[in-house]
Amino acid sequence: MIRMRHVWPIATNTVREAIRNKVLYALLFFAVGVIGVAVVIASLSYVEGQRIIQDIGLASIRLFSLGIAVFVGVGLIHGEVERRTIYTILSKPLSRSEFLVGKYLGLLMTVWLQLACMMIAFVAVSLATGAPLSGGHVAALGLLGMELVVIVALATFFSAFTSPLLASLFTLGIWGAGHLSRDLYALGQQSGNESFAGASTWMYRLLPDLEAFNVSVQAVHGLPIATSELTLPILYAVGYAVALLIAAGWIFQGRDLK
Amino acid sequence: MRENGDAVVEVLDLIKDYRPGFGLRRKRILHGVSFSVQRGEIYGFVGPNGAGKTTTLKALMGLIQASGGQARILGCDVSENDFREHIGFLPENPYFYGYLTAREILDFYARLSGLDGQRRCRRVPELLEWVGLGEASESRLRTFSKGMLQRVGIAQALVHDPEVVFLDEPMSGLDPIGRKEIRDVILRLKSEGKTVFMNTHILSDVETICDRVAIIVEGRIRYEGRIEDFLHEDDLMSDVVLSYLPPELGEILEAKFGARVRGVGGRIELRVREKQVSQLLRLGLEAGAEVVSVTPHRVSLEKIFLEAVSTSSSHLIRNESARKGERS
Repeated sequence: MIRMRHVWPIATNTVREAIRNKVLYALLFFAVGVIGVAVVIASLSYVEGQRIIQDIGLASIRLFSLGIAVFVGVGLIHGEVERRTIYTILSKPLSRSEFLVGKYLGLLMTVWLQLACMMIAFVAVSLATGAPLSGGHVAALGLLGMELVVIVALATFFSAFTSPLLASLFTLGIWGAGHLSRDLYALGQQSGNESFAGASTWMYRLLPDLEAFNVSVQAVHGLPIATSELTLPILYAVGYAVALLIAAGWIFQGRDLK
Repeated sequence: MRENGDAVVEVLDLIKDYRPGFGLRRKRILHGVSFSVQRGEIYGFVGPNGAGKTTTLKALMGLIQASGGQARILGCDVSENDFREHIGFLPENPYFYGYLTAREILDFYARLSGLDGQRRCRRVPELLEWVGLGEASESRLRTFSKGMLQRVGIAQALVHDPEVVFLDEPMSGLDPIGRKEIRDVILRLKSEGKTVFMNTHILSDVETICDRVAIIVEGRIRYEGRIEDFLHEDDLMSDVVLSYLPPELGEILEAKFGARVRGVGGRIELRVREKQVSQLLRLGLEAGAEVVSVTPHRVSLEKIFLEAVSTSSSHLIRNESARKGERS
């Protein structure tokens, strides 16, 4: 059973740790800078400058959010074990799963906070250059927030039992594969090879379908986004993250903290 | 294990195996460790480096899982969580979030321990004063000395007013003043009726403050009980100082009791077995001497400890020789 009175102090402390981490400010500053630089890049083009600004803006928000999530997330548990801060925490009446969920929620709140800062920069640049803003942009950024629910869960999952280096490699690898999983599935179906089709179907089911969270193209081109394109990915993200956290909790529970 | 209904910590045949690396054979760190800690006592868990003290404590705290045996605290298995509301733990060389202040870190631990806002507001400053960090409460922990961090560690262990406190090497690396401060804190805990379990290899501290000790060597308990209980009756000695002696009395006593006699001014000091003291005093008084003092001579824990370690080493040497003999 997960009790919020145990989870919340861990989560808020994780946010506080991130807020006092200067490296994260540097990353955020750099991300906002890149969004601003999009204006310069767009000025080099004769056509569709506003679209280029928004394309670059959304892409950089996606990449920097991923970077921050992985940078902080992979060392989330490992750092606590290495520094032995976890010893005193786990001597209090909270379970390892509550600790894990607390760290997860804290990191998620941190990356959402950073996402909000980048969104403000994106809106400011769009308004300054006269680029159109619509509900599609809100949907795109909202779904990016939901993609981060999965990415942070992946980073937390790997952090529960591997080193930060391996955890970052695994998380980035699955992020890449997750964005290609639909293509892999389609390729399997069209290949005519039964075993490849079966394998690609299993891969598609196992890997997160991260393209489900990408509606940037519709947002930038002002195309309509169906309600199901919003609700299903939200449910999918929550379900996938919960499954990952249950698995992480199970592994972490049996781990010796030497 | 001691037969006592008021044991707050009970460890029975605790075994811990580690695999040193992938594909390597398992190595046994704890070989059936058993002991018990009674309510209200200061219990010293003593052993050389690598003896298994910290491993035992980690198993008690649920940080590692035992490979066999049982460990119970306040009647609960250590794999449970609820009894943790009643225990405090200070790990060896504790590390805390350096970006927090002393007040913030205690508030954090108090929240984890389930204290509500009102109790936290009262308990945190009270505890900071108690461990002598009242004036440093708003300083970041990264600026603290080792002694100050140790006191923060003690404070976090006590923030929820636990019944049992586990301390891993609480005096290690501290200067004499820091050690005395921690000793005083431990004695104060005892006076408040709390049970203290202390891992250490500083024998003088154990001798000074512990009610009972266990000596662990190479993952096995060699002794458990009061320091006095470890000794043979013959090891219990007393120093007797007599004055105004008739000239021949010193020699008579030396011959009769086989005592070591040391002359100091007009007095003599004799070290005799405890059971001989009353007979010696009777003889001395009958001969007209005056008794200046009778002081029980405490055999150093160091002697017992070294004996335990050397017994273990010779046991190992014997085993090694036997193995070599079998091979040849």
